[in-house]
Amino acid sequence: MPNYNIDAKKDMTYDAIVIGSGISGGWAAKELCEKGLKTLVLERGRMVEHVKDYPTMNNDPWDLELRGALTSKEKQKHKYVVRSGFIGKDTEHFFANDEENPYTEKKPFLWIRAHQMGGRSLVWGKQTYRWSDLDFEANAKDGYGVDWPIRYNDLAPWYTYVEKFAGISGEALGLPQLPDSHFLPPMELNCVEKHVKSRIEKEFPGRHMIVGRVAHLTQPLNGRGQCQYRNRCSRGCPYGAYFSSNSVTLPAANATGNLTIRPYSIVESIIYDEKKEKAVGVRIVDAETNQSYSFYSKIIFSNASTLSTTQILLNSTSSRFENGFGNDSGELGHNLMDHTYRVGAMGNVDGFENEYYKGRRPNGIYIPRYVNLQGQKQSKDFLRGFGFQGGGGRSDLKAAANLPSFGADFKRALMQPEPWEFFITGFAECLPYHENKVSLNKDVLDKWGTPTLTIDSEFKENEKMANRQIQKDAVEMLEKAGLSNIVGFDNEHEQGNGIHEMGTARMGHDPKTSVLNKFNQVHAAKNVFVSDGACMTSSSCVNPSLTYMAITARAANHAVSELNKQNI
Amino acid sequence: MNRRKALQQAGILTGGAFAIPGLLSLFESCQSEVGISWEPLFFSEPEALLVSTLVDVILPRTDTPGALDVNADRFMDLFYSKALTEEEKNQLRAQIASFDSECKANFGASFVMLSTLEQNKVLERAEASSPKFNGSVWGTAVNRQQDVGFYRQTKSMAIWAYCSSEKIGKEILAYDPIPGEYIGCLPLSEIGKRWTF
Repeated sequence: MPNYNIDAKKDMTYDAIVIGSGISGGWAAKELCEKGLKTLVLERGRMVEHVKDYPTMNNDPWDLELRGALTSKEKQKHKYVVRSGFIGKDTEHFFANDEENPYTEKKPFLWIRAHQMGGRSLVWGKQTYRWSDLDFEANAKDGYGVDWPIRYNDLAPWYTYVEKFAGISGEALGLPQLPDSHFLPPMELNCVEKHVKSRIEKEFPGRHMIVGRVAHLTQPLNGRGQCQYRNRCSRGCPYGAYFSSNSVTLPAANATGNLTIRPYSIVESIIYDEKKEKAVGVRIVDAETNQSYSFYSKIIFSNASTLSTTQILLNSTSSRFENGFGNDSGELGHNLMDHTYRVGAMGNVDGFENEYYKGRRPNGIYIPRYVNLQGQKQSKDFLRGFGFQGGGGRSDLKAAANLPSFGADFKRALMQPEPWEFFITGFAECLPYHENKVSLNKDVLDKWGTPTLTIDSEFKENEKMANRQIQKDAVEMLEKAGLSNIVGFDNEHEQGNGIHEMGTARMGHDPKTSVLNKFNQVHAAKNVFVSDGACMTSSSCVNPSLTYMAITARAANHAVSELNKQNI
Repeated sequence: MNRRKALQQAGILTGGAFAIPGLLSLFESCQSEVGISWEPLFFSEPEALLVSTLVDVILPRTDTPGALDVNADRFMDLFYSKALTEEEKNQLRAQIASFDSECKANFGASFVMLSTLEQNKVLERAEASSPKFNGSVWGTAVNRQQDVGFYRQTKSMAIWAYCSSEKIGKEILAYDPIPGEYIGCLPLSEIGKRWTF
């Protein structure tokens, strides 16, 4: 068990400061510490040490007071995140207190925060896919947003680098639109998924269905154990089988002796020195004592999460940056994106009544993008594309409640698994729109008196048209696969439900139209790096976390190199 | 509480002698007294009696334990008391009252006082008229879920309370807290029953 140095007060000056300890912050900390930089990680929440601070990891339903349900008071405390459905008594302690951290929805937007060491890396979905040049070239080709200053080849070695350490399981397909990772063995599909896969791949040449590529170990790696198929991941994994900052990157950073992590440290702003023309440190408020402190460093990595990073930058004003740190372009806070969510189809699969499975696999299936590929006829209705997640199983208790019976016979039926269900749900790319934005709200302050965010963002016609196609294709695929009782669906979720918020401090070639350069440096203050979701120039339709890892490792290594050359 | 008092509180004392098989079977373990043997946190005693009776009809004791054997009714009471808002609580109380009023209108007595045959008729009607749950993706219903009403909601709660109880989870269903592996296809006969979740 690592013994973290949390005594930051004795030393106010470091080589590097990392704001946030989630997926990207953990990687920044690891890379900077391993390159010999004395690094301070500022985490706004409490410490969460791997295993030691996972109180519910071994609970069965009956061990939790309401069998895992939240009380009405807890629901109020987590009033935003309950809208997602992804919270229970087993994970409640890993989500932020929404009452203490308000935001204003000019249009409906779900912002899910996890304010503790490890951030959302404790509770994420762990689906991990490489992006491709279909994604990195998209803006340049259709003219939405600005061109990415990087291409797949810039990131490819860094994908490999982070994958080898994080541990990604999956199956290689050789598809240009979804490049293969450095894989651990894939998880297994169940009977029904194998059946549906063969039908879809036969009926729809060019479409593929694979088991999800996930940041779960399917064999031991670096002292971490492999997945035990309990599917209790979001409570923290006692085996360290899935990737989190707590189990993977922060212990590695700590092992160097160069890491100091300071919990309860809410970064208020970045300090800019007009004479040196660079940032010199950050101001924080101690969440427990309300005291203010300043910490100083040569370089700063902001990895507070997409919107929190932008909140800090917007709040970091000076005579040089009147409208927010590094905001010469006026793009800071703009171009907010998320993936569309919960639109697809589901149905029953007959003929497998005598087949079952063992284990609770924390993973499903994935159907990679197959529309608007290079060299294909392009859709007239929408730009870009979508992919599907999904899966099959027979454990829906609500379906049992639908059975038209009660009494002894019903109870006998309840002891048996439900009929097989199978679903696919699409994730469509969202275009970068300047008018989808966040701004600082000085009228609504959080518990510590810091200005909060107003979020004014929505899906537009292109995303809605993509969703229409998703549902149509999903129903058609399930029909051709021979399912029964097929239901198409579109929950018309607002942005934020995908929990893939991206953009608001985008990378780009030109300081006039972007906030960050190709190495994630703020154009106008090159010792400040942003490598969380805020940096994203477009959103792809592919889950972004693996790309945050690769971009962060690349940026951190560039930072050290530039520091050594005394360029920053 | 004695039996007379329980019936008075339920508002169903008619003075005459009549068969009350539902209640008798419900409280067979407690021959001399009728009523609930526990202090409800949310329900009134008549409400608790009704819900206990209802979940007993839905999941009766057979060769395996019934809902009441694993205190599904008590868990539901605890859940309602802690998880519902005041508005939701009032709505549930109104639904219980309305369910019982219908029993009175159609069968001339409160649900708990009906014969087994009559209770079955009430549930058959409720089954046929109650909307169903939509399918769900990652725990959330797809499309817009209409209100399934008191009967199906109670049935769903009873199923959850039953299956998530320690006795059923550990002794009746297939309990495997640490599977250690995932096998995507195997004959159901090798497991023989639903996995504990």
